[in-house]
Amino acid sequence: MFNKVLIANRGEIAVRILRACRELGLQTVAIYSEADRQAMHVRYATEAYLLGPAPSSESYLRGDKIIEIALKSGAGAIHPGYGFLAERADFAQAVEDAGLEFIGPSASAIAAMGDKAIARETMMKAGVPVVPGTEGTELLSDEELLKLAPDVGFPLLIKATAGGGGKGMREVTNIEEMPTLLKSARREAKAAFGDDNVYLEKLILGARHIEIQILADKHGNVVHLTERECSLQRRHQKLLEEAPSPIMDDDLRKRMGAVAVQAGQAVNYESAGTIECLVDSEKNFYFLEMNTRLQVEHPITELVTGVDIVKEQIRVARGRKLSFAQEDIQVKGAAIECRINAEDPHNNFMPSTGRISHIVLPSGPGVRVDTGVYSGFEITPYYDSMISKLIVWGETRAQAILRMRRALAEYKVVGVRTNIPFHQAMMDSHRFMGGQFDTRFVEEEFSMEEIVEGKETFPDIAAIVATLVMHDQTERAAHVVRRGERDTSNWKWLSRWERLNR
Amino acid sequence: MKYITTIDEKEFLVEIIDDRHVSIDGKVVEVDFESIQEQPVFSLIVDEKSYEAYVYHGEEGLEVLVKGRLYHSVVEDERERRLRAASGGAVAQSGTLHLKAPMPGLIVAVSVEVGQEVKKGDVLLILESMKMQNELKSPRDGVISRIEVGAGDSVEQRQKMLSIE
Repeated sequence: MFNKVLIANRGEIAVRILRACRELGLQTVAIYSEADRQAMHVRYATEAYLLGPAPSSESYLRGDKIIEIALKSGAGAIHPGYGFLAERADFAQAVEDAGLEFIGPSASAIAAMGDKAIARETMMKAGVPVVPGTEGTELLSDEELLKLAPDVGFPLLIKATAGGGGKGMREVTNIEEMPTLLKSARREAKAAFGDDNVYLEKLILGARHIEIQILADKHGNVVHLTERECSLQRRHQKLLEEAPSPIMDDDLRKRMGAVAVQAGQAVNYESAGTIECLVDSEKNFYFLEMNTRLQVEHPITELVTGVDIVKEQIRVARGRKLSFAQEDIQVKGAAIECRINAEDPHNNFMPSTGRISHIVLPSGPGVRVDTGVYSGFEITPYYDSMISKLIVWGETRAQAILRMRRALAEYKVVGVRTNIPFHQAMMDSHRFMGGQFDTRFVEEEFSMEEIVEGKETFPDIAAIVATLVMHDQTERAAHVVRRGERDTSNWKWLSRWERLNR
Repeated sequence: MKYITTIDEKEFLVEIIDDRHVSIDGKVVEVDFESIQEQPVFSLIVDEKSYEAYVYHGEEGLEVLVKGRLYHSVVEDERERRLRAASGGAVAQSGTLHLKAPMPGLIVAVSVEVGQEVKKGDVLLILESMKMQNELKSPRDGVISRIEVGAGDSVEQRQKMLSIE
């Protein structure tokens, strides 16, 4: 059984895992790229090792180096977090081959579920409904995909076989535009995952994106931790998640939960995983994909169920049984997570790089912030643009919304633009408050400007503040010049003055 | 001291009378203004109403965050204003516009050619940064006069990429 864990990640998720390790009394090993020398996860860990230059391909994706560091440091286990190497079966296998524990599912489970085409086939065999698409596990060429497209039906989605997070994904409305979109999807998939294979899937309109969290141990116990509502997305990137889903009822939850557990059992799953589904307006659900890792949005499930998912992952990796059974899982209250990204919502969500010169994180009752940034943190173009996750809990969904509004108002980031105004507008949106939205809502119907328009503004106050700040700076600059007018340097002058006063 | 302060295209005439008094568009208000030690944070009390402001330097002027909203400001004194007026104003809708990289990244594709006419909102090029492909669109109508980057090039922040006449 291991007593030291290497965290093969950076940013907020590295800090999240480090916290779990610290609570469990485990030693920790951080790894970092040259760009992350000052990062929070480096300072938080018991040991820290340099991986290499900033680009992920030379640092956080260097599985060989990471295993080498684990062996050298005496870490008995590796937690991959999400992204980077988290869903790479070859890495999980290499970790196992090196005699280390991979805190996650087995390489074979990752291979079975990580490849979306194989995952669909596995699920269909287990009798789970899937979204219509190009079935089978073989890799198809552009010509073959173009031939199959009319059978799938338009509109459809091109998706990366190795993908996730909307990368390498394109929406196609007709056959004419498909060749160009195939090309760009493959290019993006290649850049993001080093694999340019894609498949087609029918686009279900009016769908909600709902996922079920599962946890499994090495003793065959698979338990689901109920659902997360993730329909609020932009370009297939989740922006805001909540638990429970506003459309959920006991029957649907039972049915989806059973399917999720069945999926886990089908591949002898171990550790934390997520079954993503689309739910249409008639509450029919379709399997979309399985994420064989810890999810970004896992905290909302932790807040409504009281289960510490990361600690459970570590416990089961150490061979323990899950500390709870299915009947112990109850949903209490409601939780919302806003992903705070360095993106300008007023300018087409353009990523914003630069230094966070000052940051004030919200706190107080029911508020949790998972982050890896601090005042002085530099947002580089090498990694993703997420600054933090702001998560709140309330006794009811309405209480959670009011609390999120309060927390967003407390949140101050100086130096880079963030999408906080987007989340504030969302919390004021009647459609969001009513729980009436689908996966297209953010892109097609939601208007931040419309909501912001009616709000009270304070341009006069901003004018007074800006003028006073500028006035003070000019005055101070003038002082410096005047002092410089002395015939000797300031340092000489200072020492003379000190001598005089001795 | 008199200033012309522009907040998101709206001009205010702000005069600093003394430490406690400011006039804004001719209306004198009593202000209590404090800078919070070593932070870009300011507390302003006007007529017993309390405001907290976060201020930082933007590309031009100051960005001011008040009650969850970011205001873009340019503060000029009368002399600066006269100088700028004499030079014909800074923001011209005609003339050459240089498209600069909003962030460092990799050019994935350039969608236009020299001599091509473009409309406001047309995609000019695709810049990959932070693992996302970002479409950079034309800020106005015009003709592409120069292209200085090609697919596969790395660009630095604010590097000139192409010009529109």
